[in-house]
Formats: sequence, C-alpha cells, structure tokens
Amino acid sequence: MDSQKGLYIVLLALSTIAILACLVIDFDAWIVYAVAIFGIPLWILSLGLLTMAKPEPGDAEERVKEPFTGY
Amino acid sequence: MNLMADILINVIIAFLAGSLLLGLHRKIMARVQKRPGPPIVQHLIHSLKFFFKETAIPKTVSKVFYIGIVFILALIWIVGVIAGPVAHDSLLILFGVYAVYKIVEHNSGSSSGSPYGKLSCVRAVLSAATELPLFAAIVFVYLVTGTMNIGEIITYQSVHGPLIFTIPLAALMFFMLIITKSPYSPFAITKDKVLVSGFETEHFGLLRGFMLFSESIAWYVMLWVFLTIFFGPLTAVGYLIGMIVITFITGFINATTPILSPNHSVMTQITIGAICFFGTILMIFTGVVA
Repeated sequence: MDSQKGLYIVLLALSTIAILACLVIDFDAWIVYAVAIFGIPLWILSLGLLTMAKPEPGDAEERVKEPFTGY
Repeated sequence: MNLMADILINVIIAFLAGSLLLGLHRKIMARVQKRPGPPIVQHLIHSLKFFFKETAIPKTVSKVFYIGIVFILALIWIVGVIAGPVAHDSLLILFGVYAVYKIVEHNSGSSSGSPYGKLSCVRAVLSAATELPLFAAIVFVYLVTGTMNIGEIITYQSVHGPLIFTIPLAALMFFMLIITKSPYSPFAITKDKVLVSGFETEHFGLLRGFMLFSESIAWYVMLWVFLTIFFGPLTAVGYLIGMIVITFITGFINATTPILSPNHSVMTQITIGAICFFGTILMIFTGVVA
C-alpha cells in the first residue's frame, strides 16, 4: 500500500468518525457546522480518491500529458 | 432533529434534486431543439460514474491547488445548504458563497496550467458583472423587509405577501443570476465551447464527478433561495413546482439563445441590472413599494 493510499484511508476514517460523532453526541452548533463544512467534502474526496481507477503503469506517462494542455 | 442529521439530509436532498433538475434542464433544451436528449437521470449517473473513472493528474497543474479548489467548491455549497435550507441564516453568507464561487472559477482555471483554463479564469473576472445585480437585489430585499435573515424574510412575507409583487425588478435581477449560472447559458462565458470546458477542462474523472456533485447542490440552493426570498413561505410541493418551472424557463431560454461574446454578455448583464436597479429605486421613492 503506497503512502498516498494510506493518507486517503486516514482522511476517510477521520471524517467518518467526526460525522458519526456529531450524529450521536449533541455538540454545540458551531462544532457541528465546522465538522459538516469540512468533514462532508473531505469524506467524499477521500472516498473518491480511493475508488477512482488508476491508469496502467505503461499508460501513466501518456495520461498526465493528456488531454487539453495544449503544450 | 439532530443538527448533523438535518444537514446530511438537506445535502443529500440538494444533490439528488439538483442533479435531477439539471438532467431535466438538459432534456428540455434537447426537446426545444428537436433532439431526444439524454434521460433525466443522466446528470446524476454521470456524477456518480466519474468517481470510478480513471483519473490522472496532468503534469502542468499546481497539484495541491488543483485538488484543493474542487474541495473548496464543495465546501462553499455545503455552507450554502447550511445558511439556506438548514439554518435560514443571513443572505450575506450566501452572497459570500457567490463571491468565493467566483474565486473558485478563477483559480480552478489558473491551477490547471491549461491555456483554455487560464482564458476561462480571465473571463471569470469579467463575469463578476453577474454578482453586482445579485448584491443590489439583496440590498433591496433588506430595504423593504429591514432584515437580511432568511427566516425573518419568510415571516415578513407571510404577513405582507410575497416580495415578487413588491420588488419585481429586484427578483428579475436575481433571476438573471439564475440564467447566468444555468448550463449552456447565453452568459456562460467561462464555459464557452471555444474554451473546451473552460475552467473545468483539466478536471476530469473523480474531480469532475466531485464538481458535478457541487454544481447540483449549487443549482438547488440557488433556486431555493430565489423561491424563498421572493415567493414567501412555501411547502415542499411549492418548492418542487417552483424549481421545475424555473428549470423549464431557463432551459427554454438557453436552448433558443446562442452564447454571447464576453463583452456583449457583460454589457447585457450590466444594462439589465442597471435598469432593474434604478427602476426599483424609482418604485421605492414614488411610493409604489410600501
């Protein structure tokens, strides 16, 4: 498992725990707002970074030059 | 209800309703242009599908910024859901959301390293002409109701009737913002097809799916705010009908109107905004507005 994947799993776990904690415990409103504002986008982004398909090793170089950079 | 549960439910409703409304928008545009068009659920399916698509980060991008800006786009629309449907808070927060959205458009383009994205980012500055009438509309709502708080504006309208009948020109200014932000708008100079997909050109795969998620929420929040501050207290059915009608109108306008060049777009927006602004002032000072 590479370090990036590890980071994504940690971020996903942290955001999940924070959101679940706010669902179970009645924190002050400002804490819930802060968790929602940062936690929900972070949860979606980290989940997406884990679920997205990666290019094949042979194609990776070609992909990062694609597709509209114009250079 | 638990506050976090309330927020999550509203975010999910905003995403699902926004996605279906944008799908409907595309369907209406297609039918007006005598095409069958994609299914209404297509926008929703695309948003989810992109999360599993192959994603690579181009060499030319500023990596942290390139990903971070998509995160910020989602973040501001979560703020929009909280300030609007959840907390019925101040309109100024929503104006702040639009101000930051402009920065997102600008920086999404500039972080991509693509000439198309960069040109779109320059146009994002020009298209700030949209936010000026929005600010004027909010000021007029404040002058009439004496408050910026959405909850108090709803209460005001339940006593005095919908604001659309009191300050129709301010509502028209807000509606112009809705047209501008709708897909394939005549004023959508940042996503002009000569720029491929504008500031979104280099954001594909997962990041595009994330952007579609945010845009669905943005469309829902925008329609919700417009209906709430100009049409008074509405039931869930009222909101649904209102959102479908507005989506229908914008779809028809966008299907029949070609995209304007940047200078024409800005001048048209400023001209309509100025007419509505001075018209509303005239209405206030001549006593038409109580």
